[in-house]
Amino acid sequence: MKWSAFLPLFLLPAAFAATKDKDAVREQLIDLAAKGNGLIKLDSKTFDLLTLPSRDWSASIQFTALDRRRRCAPCKEFDPSWNAVAKAWSTAPKEHRDTHFFGTLDFDEGQTVFQKLGLASAPLVYVYPAAEGPRQLPNGKTAPSKYDFSNGFEAEPLANHLSSHTPIPIPYRAPIDWARWATFISGILSLVLTLRFISPILQSRWTWAAITVLTSLTMTGGFMFTRIRGTPYTGPDGSWIAGGYQNQYGQEVQVVALIYGTLSFAFLMLTVIVPYQSSASRQRMQVYLWSAVIMLIYSVLVTIFRLKNRGYPFKLLL
Amino acid sequence: MWSFYTFILLIFGFVSVLDAKSSSGNSVLVILDPARQPDYSIFFNGLKEKGYDLTFRAPKDEAPVLIEDDIPSFAHVILFAPDSKHFGKDVTPQALVQLLSSQTNLLIALGQKQNLVTSLAPEFSLILPPPGSSLVSYFPERKEPPTVVPIDVPSSSKILSSSSSPVWFSGVPFALGNNPLVFPILSAPAEGFAADSEGSTADALFDAADKGGEGLWAGSQLAVAAGFQALGGARATWVGGVELFSDEFAKKEISKGVKSGNQQAAADLAAWTFQESLVLRIDSTTHHLVGTSVPKEHYTTNDVVEYVAQISRFNPSKDKWEPYSGLDDLQLEFTMLDPHIRTALPPVPGSPGKYAVTFRVPDRHGVFKFVVDYKRKGWTHLQSSTTVPVVPPRHDGYPRFLSAAWPYYAGAISTSLGFFLFSAIYLAGDPREGNLRGLRAKSTKAQ
Amino acid sequence: MSTAYPLPTNLSTTTVTNTASLLRIVALGLISAAAIASRLFAVINFESIIHEFDPWFNYRATRVLASQGFYEFWNWFDPTAWYPLGRVVGGTVYPGLMATSGVIYNFLHAFHLPVDIRNICVLLAPGFSALTAWATYMFTKEMKDESAGLLAAAFIGIVPGYISRSVAGSYDNEAIAIFLLMFTFYCWIKALKTGSALFGTLAAVFYFYMVAAWGGYAFITNMIPVHALTLMLMGRFSSRLYVAYCSWYAIGTLSSMQVPFVGFQPVRTSEHMGALGVFGLLQIVAFAQLARSHLSSKQFQNLLTVSVVAMGVVGTFGFIALTYMGWIAPWTGRFYSLWDTGYAKKYIPIIASVSEHQPTAWPSFFMDLQLLIFLFPAGVILCFRELRDEHVFVIIYSVVASYFAGVMVRLMLTLTPVVCVSSAVAFSSLIDTYLDPTQPEGEEESEADSSNGTNTAATPSKKEKAKKPAASTSALNDIVTAATSQSSSKSKSKGIWGLDTRLIVIVNAIGMLSFFVFHCTWVTANAYSSPSVVLASTNPDGSQHIIDDFREAYYWLRQNTPQDAVVMSWWDYGYQIAGMADRPTLVDNNTWNNSKSHIATVGKAMSSSEEVAYPILRKHDVDYVLVIFGGLLGYSGDDINKFLWMVRIAQGVWPDEIQEPNYFTPQGEYRVDDRASSAMKNSLMYKMSYYRFAELFGGNNAMDRVRQQTMPKVGPTLDYLDEAFTSENWIVRIYQVRKEDLLGRDLKSANAFAQGKKKKKSKPVSRRKAIPV
Repeated sequence: MKWSAFLPLFLLPAAFAATKDKDAVREQLIDLAAKGNGLIKLDSKTFDLLTLPSRDWSASIQFTALDRRRRCAPCKEFDPSWNAVAKAWSTAPKEHRDTHFFGTLDFDEGQTVFQKLGLASAPLVYVYPAAEGPRQLPNGKTAPSKYDFSNGFEAEPLANHLSSHTPIPIPYRAPIDWARWATFISGILSLVLTLRFISPILQSRWTWAAITVLTSLTMTGGFMFTRIRGTPYTGPDGSWIAGGYQNQYGQEVQVVALIYGTLSFAFLMLTVIVPYQSSASRQRMQVYLWSAVIMLIYSVLVTIFRLKNRGYPFKLLL
Repeated sequence: MWSFYTFILLIFGFVSVLDAKSSSGNSVLVILDPARQPDYSIFFNGLKEKGYDLTFRAPKDEAPVLIEDDIPSFAHVILFAPDSKHFGKDVTPQALVQLLSSQTNLLIALGQKQNLVTSLAPEFSLILPPPGSSLVSYFPERKEPPTVVPIDVPSSSKILSSSSSPVWFSGVPFALGNNPLVFPILSAPAEGFAADSEGSTADALFDAADKGGEGLWAGSQLAVAAGFQALGGARATWVGGVELFSDEFAKKEISKGVKSGNQQAAADLAAWTFQESLVLRIDSTTHHLVGTSVPKEHYTTNDVVEYVAQISRFNPSKDKWEPYSGLDDLQLEFTMLDPHIRTALPPVPGSPGKYAVTFRVPDRHGVFKFVVDYKRKGWTHLQSSTTVPVVPPRHDGYPRFLSAAWPYYAGAISTSLGFFLFSAIYLAGDPREGNLRGLRAKSTKAQ
Repeated sequence: MSTAYPLPTNLSTTTVTNTASLLRIVALGLISAAAIASRLFAVINFESIIHEFDPWFNYRATRVLASQGFYEFWNWFDPTAWYPLGRVVGGTVYPGLMATSGVIYNFLHAFHLPVDIRNICVLLAPGFSALTAWATYMFTKEMKDESAGLLAAAFIGIVPGYISRSVAGSYDNEAIAIFLLMFTFYCWIKALKTGSALFGTLAAVFYFYMVAAWGGYAFITNMIPVHALTLMLMGRFSSRLYVAYCSWYAIGTLSSMQVPFVGFQPVRTSEHMGALGVFGLLQIVAFAQLARSHLSSKQFQNLLTVSVVAMGVVGTFGFIALTYMGWIAPWTGRFYSLWDTGYAKKYIPIIASVSEHQPTAWPSFFMDLQLLIFLFPAGVILCFRELRDEHVFVIIYSVVASYFAGVMVRLMLTLTPVVCVSSAVAFSSLIDTYLDPTQPEGEEESEADSSNGTNTAATPSKKEKAKKPAASTSALNDIVTAATSQSSSKSKSKGIWGLDTRLIVIVNAIGMLSFFVFHCTWVTANAYSSPSVVLASTNPDGSQHIIDDFREAYYWLRQNTPQDAVVMSWWDYGYQIAGMADRPTLVDNNTWNNSKSHIATVGKAMSSSEEVAYPILRKHDVDYVLVIFGGLLGYSGDDINKFLWMVRIAQGVWPDEIQEPNYFTPQGEYRVDDRASSAMKNSLMYKMSYYRFAELFGGNNAMDRVRQQTMPKVGPTLDYLDEAFTSENWIVRIYQVRKEDLLGRDLKSANAFAQGKKKKKSKPVSRRKAIPV
């Protein structure tokens, strides 16, 4: 943690920086930013400098709580993309770079600021427009604007959003995911290599049958719903079945798909296997067995459905 | 809305007796203390001679009522009761505004005291000085008290006949807010200012201005008479002091042998207020394709369209509407959300009252409007909006047999010819050929 | 050969076949009758009325078509929609539906049957559902046999998944589209089997009809090529495939380009590129085949294959290049959102906001397909068992459709037919097996002596023991033989012993089928037969109470407002206002091919304060604003619940004026009571919804029964709008937009003056500085 080393260094000038004119402050901010390659590690004092009422620069500040004790998972998730964007900005041409600053204020270093702004949650991103000077907003608005996390924690949308506040668009470029490509290509290669050996499997219709049936089972089990809505695997109270007709948990997909699978398997046995039995009694036994299975599982299915759809009037054995 | 307005005008114009000079009726209600009535005899007689029939009513009276069953009883109302504290219960600021909304014109005189009139003034965005103050000017040197001020009639005024000599005024000056509907008719002299006591000097005023923060009540940005053209078409005139209309001021001489302009000014004010002067209307608007004469219910993109408006002006002397070609700054807009075309609508030389313009419809389908919106200070507002859809060409309205398309025509024709030839040869061909081909077909099917 | 139950022997085969065909015809007739009848709940419970939203536009368009003829309809420019932009209806509509009912209308009137066009529109869907049943029968007949076909027809006739979009009165494109879908597929399969260009052409013709009828034609456009491609990959290229595909593609594409709305898309957009690519590939492969059949040089053939592959690769890359160069339009967002499921919510909120574009939870699957949903995999397996070309089609169809149905509720419609077909195959093969009277010879004697009770129970058990190992092995063999192919099974005896076994399976099957029927009837009657224009509730005494606010309000508009009064509402109600109130609307349900910014404008007006909204309303000549408010009745589909979508859509265009977070409480809740955020409370939508709502409850605090929140005692006030009409149950509220003030004041202060409030004294703007003398 090399920043702790720097803290006293800039605490001292910060103390009487308030009296100094804002050019000095800007100089100080610039070399702070230079030190933290584009990102200023803030505390309550430097925060006041950065958000000087007479500032002619703009600043975007991340309020976070990275300390392990705070247990802020989203903070940790968001921090890298924030740093990436800040770093990207540090590569902007100098005359632009020095009119917009990126800062990060950790809760443990600026509790007073959090209280002052009445911030209850983290992470947050505020963009402070320039209060005066050429880059002041046309509507003269100086109050900070909040970044909406509805687009998730990725760096891409963040950069796009902040670019509307910086003099020039942030030169952010999404890093190429080498690992992904490597795995992809190696996968292709291995497939090609093993093609010769697995080709009998690939050419067997039953592999494809299995694939087809499994796909349609998962789909009809509502898998896409859980994917798109990102519903949890089980309920908060550990219940595996979600109340309500238009809702479901991840586990229901498995249960329902299993039920469907068993039922159609039973049908298949009755249709395909049983007639080829060479002994009457065993055949009879199987017939009764599978019919019973069908009846039971089907009634279970209907019961589960009644749980989901209260108004459903019908029921089978159960 | 304009059509309703013109309709009203027409109605009044026709039913009014011949010698009436107003374009909107000749019944006038004067709210005035009966005791003061003789003081304004010249003004009222002038009106009577013009053919107005005046009804007098004391402020405190209950009858005749202004509005009966939501229908105004009079075409014009003169409110010459600046100083009376109480009015009949039907005379309220709201009622007066309602009169305006139902095409009744108002001529209102302000006074020193706080009353209904002063509370109504802000609604017309007149900004009155502190109560009790009046216009004071020490120039030019004269024997009258400083609150009786001679005011020159601006030569540029459309409403007041500029030939007349200065006008005696005594009363309250007022500033005008930034409402485009209100405009000064008669401005206070540059040396004049508003002060509460006669003896006060400029310094006292400045002190007051600085202390009270009331702003500066001085100079020619103050008006003593202002006209207000309500959106409905009715007119209201505010005069700072009722004395302007009085016989005393009318007879009072500006200087030796020079009669004051009050009588003329009062008459002009009334004439404008009662919609005698500067009254315009749009008789009709039509639009049609160039070359034809009947209007279409919708136009195709890129049509060339001609728009014609017929405008006439009321002539009080002859008491009739006459075609008027004097407007040289009339504009036509062809708008869908925003004006796609904004062009001048010039008068057609030779045909009086006719304004016409020809333009190409933009290459954009949608519901468009021909909009004429003419608002000039003093003049009646002219507003006309005609909706007409602009549609894309019909499926058979596009050009045919383009030279650019010849390759495609050629391709189609050659292909069909080729097919015909092929089938002809194939059918006429040697049967053995056919068998062989059949066999080969089988073989391919087999494998 | 012994039989499980006696069969009449004195029947000639002709009699049997004739009776069978007669029975088949009767069955089909009955099925069609059932299909039509089960869709009439809506008409019986309510009345013969057009349902929901889109059908109202189709109905209106059909009236134009019927009254003014096809050419006028084709050139119809509707100035009242998307005011003031207008809508070129002829060029932006799939005319198939209207044309169909127009033809029927003229046909009937040619016979002097004066049928009202409305009734034709209402009953079109049920009628076509009967045709769908028939088409499905033909299709399944190609898969297995007539009995399976009949089952499939019966299934599709009454399955809720299809009824949901085709009850009487839901006059939407899907009503006829499913029939066209199935019949096109039937023609395709037929063409593929027989290799006849005639059926290929027929497929093309019905494909054209489909294109003219429904935007979902893209499904066929990609389904058939995928099938052809798979067949080629399976090495099943044949001249039959070649003929069938080429005739279908050439004619189908050319004719589909005649639909104005489609135009040149078939050669310009990515959705159609697959078909083109497969077409090209077919030519290459066909040429290769030809060359191979003529030449014998081994190297040449290798070279040929290489060149074929190379050409394929080149073609693909060429396509990609063209796409990047912009010659070929990339996937449309609507289509794209099927693959990247997160896409729509992020970039095109309008798509995401439509309820029928939500993903499907499994209960909906079961609700719509019931037992078919688990018979369907079994059917697929059976298709794999005898893998003829047409079975490959069903297999592909099932995979693709089940994915799509999982992503979008509305695409359940495309899944339903294949589910019916394949489950019919499964079910009928089950029935076949257990109705077939023949018994296998295998173990007659054991059967015999186990049946007569002379011998002791020990002997059979001993027999069993003796047989055990053999049995286990044989069981394996059974499975393998059964699975792999029939040819071996011919050698082996196949069948069922005894009656009881047959009986239990058949009874079981019949029981399930009848349960299915009960289920379908219940679902249809309760879930899918309400015309969301008229709502129904049950009184405490159980009797039905009709809530008719929508039509009440629309007729008020029709009767009490000038013909050209522009009505603003959220776009869901645009078609209904145009159809029932006959007034111009700002936005309507046709959101695909119109400027999104127009919708965003309405969203902005609704979600911003009166002062901001008023200039927008004036600019668009809006005279009336219509909002749907369910708070009094507990009608949850109201505008406050849709409000966030308006905010989002507006935010997409004016991100710095409208921000979604401002409409939540600091705790991030969506509240409408006194803890609601200020942006929420000042928004036009909120004010119009709750204006004078509190007064309704006298002194007690008002209760919003949808949000379950108690409203503040003093409701919002309106300065720029006047309440014009509120329907009986407050579901529809209509407000009139005020004109500018007579004296040019802003309406707020004008209001204050009218209510007799004193205006604060203002000061003059001092143009001169005071210079003390």
